[in-house]
Amino acid sequence: MAKRGWDEFEIGAMLRSFDGVSNDIATTLQEDRNYSQSNSFVASVADWRIAKPVFNKDFCIDCQFCWIYCPDMSIIARDKKMIGVDMDHCKGCGICVEVCPTNPKSLLMFPEQADEEAELSQWPAKDKETK
Amino acid sequence: MAFDKMELRDIEVWDGNFAAAQALRQCQIDVVAAYPITPSTPIVEGYAKFLADGYVEGEFVMVESEHAAMSGCIGAAAAGGRVATATSSQGFALMVETLYQASGMRLPIVLNVVNRALAAPLNVNGDHSDMYLGRDSGWIQLDAYCPQDAYDLNFIAFKVSEDHEVRLPCMVHQDGFMTSHTAQGVKTLTDDQGYGFVGEYKPMNDMLDFEHPVTHGVQTEEDWHFEHKARQHNDLMTKVFPKIEAAFDAFEKLSGRKYNIVEKYDMDDADVSVVCMGTSVETAREVATEMRAKGIKAGVVGLRVIRPFPFMQIQEVLKDVKAIAVLDRSSPNGAPGMLFNEIAGCLFNTDTKALLSGYVYGLGGRDLTKKHLVDLFTELQANVDAGKILTPLQQFIGVRGPKLSFL
Amino acid sequence: MSEMKKIKNLKEFSTSADRFEGANLLCPGCAHSIIVREVLNATNDDLVLSASTGCLEVCTAVYPYTSWDASWIHIGFENGSTAVAGAEAMYKALKNKGRLKQPDRNPKFVSFAGDGASYDIGFQWISGCMERGHNIMHVVLDNEVYANTGGQRSSSTPIGSSATTAPAGRVSYGEKRNKKDMVSIMASHHIPYAAQVAPNKWKDMVKKIQHGFSVDGPVFINAVSPCTTEWKFDPKDTMMITDLATDSLVFPLYEIIDGHELNITYRPKNVVPVEEYLAAQGRFKHLFKDEYKYLIKEWQERVDANWAYLNRREEARV
Repeated sequence: MAKRGWDEFEIGAMLRSFDGVSNDIATTLQEDRNYSQSNSFVASVADWRIAKPVFNKDFCIDCQFCWIYCPDMSIIARDKKMIGVDMDHCKGCGICVEVCPTNPKSLLMFPEQADEEAELSQWPAKDKETK
Repeated sequence: MAFDKMELRDIEVWDGNFAAAQALRQCQIDVVAAYPITPSTPIVEGYAKFLADGYVEGEFVMVESEHAAMSGCIGAAAAGGRVATATSSQGFALMVETLYQASGMRLPIVLNVVNRALAAPLNVNGDHSDMYLGRDSGWIQLDAYCPQDAYDLNFIAFKVSEDHEVRLPCMVHQDGFMTSHTAQGVKTLTDDQGYGFVGEYKPMNDMLDFEHPVTHGVQTEEDWHFEHKARQHNDLMTKVFPKIEAAFDAFEKLSGRKYNIVEKYDMDDADVSVVCMGTSVETAREVATEMRAKGIKAGVVGLRVIRPFPFMQIQEVLKDVKAIAVLDRSSPNGAPGMLFNEIAGCLFNTDTKALLSGYVYGLGGRDLTKKHLVDLFTELQANVDAGKILTPLQQFIGVRGPKLSFL
Repeated sequence: MSEMKKIKNLKEFSTSADRFEGANLLCPGCAHSIIVREVLNATNDDLVLSASTGCLEVCTAVYPYTSWDASWIHIGFENGSTAVAGAEAMYKALKNKGRLKQPDRNPKFVSFAGDGASYDIGFQWISGCMERGHNIMHVVLDNEVYANTGGQRSSSTPIGSSATTAPAGRVSYGEKRNKKDMVSIMASHHIPYAAQVAPNKWKDMVKKIQHGFSVDGPVFINAVSPCTTEWKFDPKDTMMITDLATDSLVFPLYEIIDGHELNITYRPKNVVPVEEYLAAQGRFKHLFKDEYKYLIKEWQERVDANWAYLNRREEARV
């Protein structure tokens, strides 16, 4: 947000989450919300990451462990299905990978610069040592 | 409305505390969060009793400290409704952190401060130490000299504070015991007149408007903090006085009682003048009249508004005065005195040749007597006659022991 | 009373629309955020929230951004509970006076604070809120340390933990005092509901939060919040550490109803030795020196004794 002068903002350093009227936010998905420019949703922390999760939907069972334990609201679940990772808000902590129960895992961490298509094409096979 | 109106006589005999409590009732405060402390306790006791008797409807939250009292007031005000409380002295000191938070968040809370000394040594009586402590907190500060003022200024406080162009909290000060516990005749407004004057609370940035979620109390660091503080100061400096003047005018039309940002008494041709606050203003006025009978052209300047400080108004009222005494009722603790400094700052860079001296008086409720003021006016006249200040710049009045003076 | 949100399973829960947003400034792997999500997503009702000064507050409302999609207030370190209590008082006042803008809502009032802001500096304020019977929920994000200011000990810091103001050193094993039993203290206010929760046991946690929202009166929730920065573990391991916390019974999960009826709500199938919990965290690293190994034994004995105590309380139904 532009660095505005003292006479250009709301009194009391007050911030609005949304522009205009917002009703039933608890049942309105992010894509249908009218976020204000003051909502951190419009910002990005992608540059925090040194490693990124890559999602392989071939092995995903939609258990939603990654969704519930993601600290950054970055697992996108729609209609009870895991559909991807919000790469603007993911900080690369790796929790989603740790809690993923499938074998092989449906999420794995790779260096931030890694090519996603290449990593998906050489996804590890089922690990027979663990169940 | 699920409460009854109260029939008041045109003139009631009330002390300052009860007068303030009645004003809170008539303004129909939604939430009072409070903690008891002498001498302000009867104000919130009054509200609690009105609530218990069905003369007002609202929530009385009896919290566990003054810090929590103001914290609760901040939460309630941010939620969106009319909020008030009262405190004094040590309680005020405990509240100080939250005073800055209330004003920084631009929440229109009215705080009745019944002025009392600050420990140590502990003292329950009236001086202006707590009032001075609040002076940099970003609040509007109004000063009552008597129970009538304490009643009237509460209406003014809500009217100004809640104005959407102002949205700054407001303190109404009265002197502990001298005003708070001294019963006098108080001319009343009817309940309809009183509530009609302040009007229904108009919410702004209210947390209970669920269609417009709002974030209050953010963090700002070096890239934003200065601008927000500058905005608050700007609004104190430019927006408050016009609203106070408009409120004083409207109140005069309603009640016939006229208030002024700076209260002048016999100042039109005054050679010597006292500048003071609180109950001392009334004593000084009486003595000034007596001095006039002795041929000394004495006047009195009382501050009605302490913050924002009426810099230009003070310059104007003192411009032709030859000798000025500034009275500070708080230990200056190593400086000439807050009010002395403020008045000196006003007069600097002007054409005045006034002789300015300061007096520290009345600490811990020590009386300021008429004799003290007679001596003081006499000293001022002697300064005028000599064309220079014959005394030290800072003198103590009414303290036992060898004469105490500095500078 | 509003209808309770139906959350049968995790799939159903995942249809929730978060009211807490990303690009906040919390550390990668911070459990605070996971706890906040589970609390907020437990209801679809409107929310009035507060945070006391601390990690959550300084990371989610740094001008010009807010991460909150519901009304939220921060005043200071000690008074977040009272801020929400004040708002709740105003809600009641305006409701009685018929002045609410949306009178058909059933808002929930929730205050979040760290252990420093709850066990220490805000203790009196929270006690006051609990005693006065406000219809609010206070949630402690208990990471057992002043994390926001860089790792000083609080009265929640456990024995043997190394904190910057209780550091382990050549002649010290760090913190010397056992942590305060805050859930018991709060339950002793005879509030309708007090509980300890952990975000790994999401179902238990959400059930407790929903119970808390359903009762009339103050609710106290103590949530274990493993701190990757101050407990010194890899950010990816937050949930693993939380599992160790609950399954070693260092953080037993239970609830206390009306100040007396204690129910244990989670009994691990395989109880993990406390040593494993301690070994996974850098803050306890020094305890594995020979001269301090007795402390690990004492740790286990203390946890066992507490578990036995909770079981006795549960059985006694008093």
